Amino acid sequence: MSLFSVATLAAGRVFPGAEEIPFDDKGYTTINPILPPLKELIPGTMASIIVFTLLAWKAGPIIRESLRKRTAGIQKQLDDATAAKAAAETEAVRIRQAQGDIDAERGRLYAEADAQAEALLADGRVRLAAEVAELEARADADIASAAGRSSDELRSEIAKHSGSAVDAIVRDTLDDAAQQELIENFIARVGASQGVTS
Amino acid sequence: MSGDAMIEGYARALFEVARAEGTLDEVEDELFRFARSYESSDALRNALTDEHIPAEKRQAIVEDLLGGKTTTTTIQLVSMVVGSGRSRDIPAIVDSLVARASSAKQLDVAEVRTAVALTDDQQARLKAALENATGKSINLKTVVDPSVVGGVVATIGDTVIDDTVRTRIEQLKSRL
Repeated sequence: MSLFSVATLAAGRVFPGAEEIPFDDKGYTTINPILPPLKELIPGTMASIIVFTLLAWKAGPIIRESLRKRTAGIQKQLDDATAAKAAAETEAVRIRQAQGDIDAERGRLYAEADAQAEALLADGRVRLAAEVAELEARADADIASAAGRSSDELRSEIAKHSGSAVDAIVRDTLDDAAQQELIENFIARVGASQGVTS
Repeated sequence: MSGDAMIEGYARALFEVARAEGTLDEVEDELFRFARSYESSDALRNALTDEHIPAEKRQAIVEDLLGGKTTTTTIQLVSMVVGSGRSRDIPAIVDSLVARASSAKQLDVAEVRTAVALTDDQQARLKAALENATGKSINLKTVVDPSVVGGVVATIGDTVIDDTVRTRIEQLKSRL
């Protein structure tokens, strides 16, 4: 028989229940569906007190220390979280500022690119206009030159053919009599002149 | 020795040989005609200046060409110049020889170019006319040059009397 059974039997003897049912081999029974018979209630209560007192005495500091450490850990986690939140907010501010800077830089770059593109466009237009003017002038000069050249070539061609024609006609005309006449004329003319020197 | 000095040297040698032979006038005239033919004939010029043809062969060409038509002295002199590799200088050497011969006779050389050959009478009258015009004694050298087409061009030293059809045609072409 266990200590609990012994205590229960002793309590049953000291505090008998009104509606108590006699003890059998299985213990005391009661007809109350909630409360046990007094013989079990009293020692059970005392045992519980003892057990809880012992627990409070022996395990309490350990549990308190554990709870304190746990509280400290949670507090630390809360502090860390707060610090992290503050850092995150700082970072967010920095990022927002950086984003603002980026937006400003982007705007500046866009403005600069627009200005450069405008300048290039203006320069290109000026250069294109100059090139077009130069090309037009050159084309005009080429046309004038070609016209002049054609005219010169035509004149030259006419002169060449005329010269060839004259050459051929004169050679055909110069028979022996004409040759002799030319020679005689030369002799007569030179003979008539005097003082021919270099 | 420079080119001019060499040409003068050959001219003097040819002059002395011809004078020693007593055929200076004839040789001078023949050499002058040969020089003009050399100038006007590409084939003759190429044959006499071709380094690939042996000198003996070039001399044989000269002898074939002039044999029976000129004096032996002329043939020997031209052959000597060709054999010594101075064919290119024949005109200059001959001109120098003619000038030297004329100078020795107190004459000025008058080179007359015509399209057709002049008769002896025409040559005599032309010589007299040129002497009258220039006041100099003339050693007349005639050249038949078809390129003048017609008329006469006479060159006496630096004086040129040009009355050729070629010149008139050139002037007409220039005006055209």
